[in-house]
Amino acid sequence: MPSMTPTARADVALGTFAAAASAFALGVRRNLANWPILMGRALFYLVALTVLSALWDKVAAQRVAGALVLPPGGLTLYVGATEWITLSVAAIHLRLEDDIRLGMLEPHLLRPKPYLVQKIAEAMGDSVVRLIGIGIAALIALALSGRALPPPAAFVYVAVLGVFGAAIGVLIYTGVGLAAFWVRRVLPPYIIVQKIWFLLGGLFAPISLYPAWFFGLAVVSPFAASIYMPGSMMIAPSVRAFGEALLAQLAWLAALTVLVALIWRAGLRRVLREGV
Amino acid sequence: MISTYAANVAIAIRTSLMDRTNFILNSAGMIVNDIFLLILWYMFFAGFRQVGGWGLHDVARLLGITLLVVAIGGVLFGGYRDMAATILRGEIDALLTQPKAVLPRLLARESIATAWGDLVMGVWMLLTFAALSWADIPVVLLAIACGTTVYVASAVAYASLAFWFAGARSFARDLTDFMLLFSSYPGSIYGGATRIIAYTLLPAGFVVLTPVTFLRAPSLSSLAILIGSAAAYSAIAGAVFQAGLVRYRRGLVPTG
Repeated sequence: MPSMTPTARADVALGTFAAAASAFALGVRRNLANWPILMGRALFYLVALTVLSALWDKVAAQRVAGALVLPPGGLTLYVGATEWITLSVAAIHLRLEDDIRLGMLEPHLLRPKPYLVQKIAEAMGDSVVRLIGIGIAALIALALSGRALPPPAAFVYVAVLGVFGAAIGVLIYTGVGLAAFWVRRVLPPYIIVQKIWFLLGGLFAPISLYPAWFFGLAVVSPFAASIYMPGSMMIAPSVRAFGEALLAQLAWLAALTVLVALIWRAGLRRVLREGV
Repeated sequence: MISTYAANVAIAIRTSLMDRTNFILNSAGMIVNDIFLLILWYMFFAGFRQVGGWGLHDVARLLGITLLVVAIGGVLFGGYRDMAATILRGEIDALLTQPKAVLPRLLARESIATAWGDLVMGVWMLLTFAALSWADIPVVLLAIACGTTVYVASAVAYASLAFWFAGARSFARDLTDFMLLFSSYPGSIYGGATRIIAYTLLPAGFVVLTPVTFLRAPSLSSLAILIGSAAAYSAIAGAVFQAGLVRYRRGLVPTG
């Protein structure tokens, strides 16, 4: 927009922001309207947590010679936090796949609001409601379990980092969804990225338990910033670790935003040149 | 009935193979997915050695059976995956006017492309980790056949909830996913309430744990449990589906 004045640019930016806020609110309301689905997700979370806590309680109880030593209190609260974030990330890749594959993208391109920003904002709203719904289920389960609780500050750290962790997740899945510009179905890249996320993010166990070389690889990935860093607040909460985690998350949010924008532009060029 | 089923499944498989690129991407994607799952467990056992007497080889054997059960279910009975939606959309109407049984037609409607990736990985895991000999093949096939029967029968029973509840589409999928979740972890971690659930509502116990026990040490008692559970879950699924079909014929089924 080289011909626009600074005032006009500010107006466009403001309009884009307002539209994104509306899309965010739409995501919130849509998820609230589908409350039975949200309840189902909370139930799935509780079932997954039941299985994983059974696994880690068994490991903690057996004390095998030469095995790694678990942190005091075990890993149930850690996996409770990582699963909470993972299950809260909206499936934006499926919506992008539908729009791109079925040729429904073109009408959006004629509209004045940026399509991708709208979709991401809507997915963020969806994720926030999931975070709240599943979070409430997690707190109720925790209260009923009778497990020893970490300091109250840990919950504040996890709550803040969990939101940013889910936002990183939305951007990762946005990248997966944009793969639909090149492949017909995004299921293959989705399941691969998902498993890399589980592995490098430390979904089932903190990456600090991995061998040193693998930890070094995992900790600098966006996956660790998304779930390991928030989850680790349940094991060893501290202001310093919280600050470092927040910085890492903000850096990854910026990097992934640029990456997603580049993929979008490349994909759009392809569609405009060759069609779907 | 078997020849009709075979013909329907053959069509479903050919349909899933039609888009070659998509088929290869889906299958290869699932293979990579399964490899990462194995790496996750490798990392786990590298650190913790064992869990309740189960080591990496035991879990790999369990995963091998689970993958084969899901693969055979997906390739040969793939219609189970969206059966609840099919019921809710009223698509059974067309099948009711035909002389063949409805349930087999529903199961043979679809063949899932990703299941081929699971098939490859399941066979590889069993060949690599299960220390099998040629003499074990009948036992393996029986264990997988019974596990698949319980898995598909349970999925049919969950999907049949659509005859009663409009929200059964996602709930049926969730229950099937819960069953798979229970099936992917060492049997030694389950005790008390989780053990009861794993052998009743979400029968991971009969889908993989009993077949794995049977593979480890075949005995008449485990054989009886294996075949008995497959027969029992098939009967339950058949009965629930038929009861639902009676409601459907009376027009009492919700739509969605």
